[in-house]
Amino acid sequence: MQTNNKLKINIGPQHPSTHGVLRFVLELDGEIIKSCEPVIGYLHRGMEKMAESRTYLQYLPTVDRVDYLGGFFNSYAFCNAVENLAQIEVSKRSRYIRVLTLEMNRLSSHLLWLGSYLLDMGATSPLFYTLRDREVLLSLFEELTGQRLMYNYYTFGGVRHDVWADWLKKVADFVEIMPRKIQDYEDIITNNPIFATRTKDIGILSKHKALQYSITGPNLRASGIDLDSRKDANNLIYDELDFETKIAHSGDSFDRYMVRIEEMRECLKIISQCVNWLMGNEGDVISPVKQPTLKVPEGEFISNVEAPRGICSCYVKSDGSGKPYRVKWRTGSYYAVQLLPKLLEGTFYPDMMAIFGSLDVIAPEVDR
Amino acid sequence: MKNLKYLISLIIGHLTVFKHIFKKPVTLEYPEKKIELNDKFRGEHAFDVEKCTACGTCQRVCPSFGTIEIEKEKDENGKFYPKNYSIDLNKCIFCGNCVQYCPFGAIKMTQNYELADEKKSTLKLEINTLKRNYFDNIIDK
Repeated sequence: MQTNNKLKINIGPQHPSTHGVLRFVLELDGEIIKSCEPVIGYLHRGMEKMAESRTYLQYLPTVDRVDYLGGFFNSYAFCNAVENLAQIEVSKRSRYIRVLTLEMNRLSSHLLWLGSYLLDMGATSPLFYTLRDREVLLSLFEELTGQRLMYNYYTFGGVRHDVWADWLKKVADFVEIMPRKIQDYEDIITNNPIFATRTKDIGILSKHKALQYSITGPNLRASGIDLDSRKDANNLIYDELDFETKIAHSGDSFDRYMVRIEEMRECLKIISQCVNWLMGNEGDVISPVKQPTLKVPEGEFISNVEAPRGICSCYVKSDGSGKPYRVKWRTGSYYAVQLLPKLLEGTFYPDMMAIFGSLDVIAPEVDR
Repeated sequence: MKNLKYLISLIIGHLTVFKHIFKKPVTLEYPEKKIELNDKFRGEHAFDVEKCTACGTCQRVCPSFGTIEIEKEKDENGKFYPKNYSIDLNKCIFCGNCVQYCPFGAIKMTQNYELADEKKSTLKLEINTLKRNYFDNIIDK
């Protein structure tokens, strides 16, 4: 539709590069984007309302679906909130298993992001390489939990069953070969002149704007703000592990890419430390909660976890009955979508995917 | 100078991609070849009617309402048993809660994941199908 020399075009909701069902209404002046309006809600499943009619145990398997690429993170956020409300103790071995699976999940999520981002920009080969390596992780998850994406592995007070030596051996083998693979990606992508020209100085997110829009996760760290909730998470055992928070300074698409690549390497460091600990130490992992009905005392709690797309918070309010009174999710992608109109204003239309892809938005997490 | 740097990085990139030509394929040609699944895989259900006491725990922990239907009855010894038991795969999300929380271990999950069917009604697993799954996949193994 053309009005006042401006062209209004519609992208999505069924567009291959919107990563789910997301729609944009763009206003173009020639090739320059004048305004962008994201239309969300196509994947709304009522995750928050659903909690009110289900017991804690019934709701637990469904929370993996808030963000299907980071199922463990949502599961952990909900479990942690309920454990804090009901005063359930989590054993040290369970915490190590949780951190191990969380970091493996972060790695698999970043791998898929890397492949699909490059695919959005026209490079096909990286997608095959990243999916090939992600497949190893998904097979490991399948062996451990029974499914590839919807794990339902954590329970209130622990995990479903212990890890075994064979499985840990496989994870250790994976950690050994993975740095070479990441170097391969860097060889193909990082120094590639086409990739560099398409992403450097594009979609610059300043510190001030990032804070204004409550951006978290790698997107925020790429703008030079050192905020990583893993560093001050006292409920997991991150304080016993040796890892760094990677930050970049210019806040453009290229920096967001670099931060994620560096984060993958940090993930591998954490994974190998967890594997070593789990191989050398014994312990109990089975949850003390045996009966299927769990009564949670009155109260409210917010639990935070550093998910691949920013901080994922779960607010649980209990009225003392067997069902939650209210559950609220705060996920990183929602805020990244709100930011998009500001980042796109005045940029060229072909840059849209280079900017949008670098924010790592997935639609189910936006709509919930 | 800048062009030379770009040229070198392009050559490195192309060599990296070229290396992969000589590697073995990682894909499997489904359906001729299939991946091996382990015991923990959450596929189609199996049901041991001997162990079940129709207590209804599986119904209470199921996140998807109306998936499991039980019709319970008393036998001559005064014990409860399931006269009818069905799992609706149209509603099931394969979370494995019913398996985890069954106090008698009556319900199990098999490695069967090829569940596509022409009719919706056949996806409702009746007690006989579930029993057959149990004999074929759990006992025979």
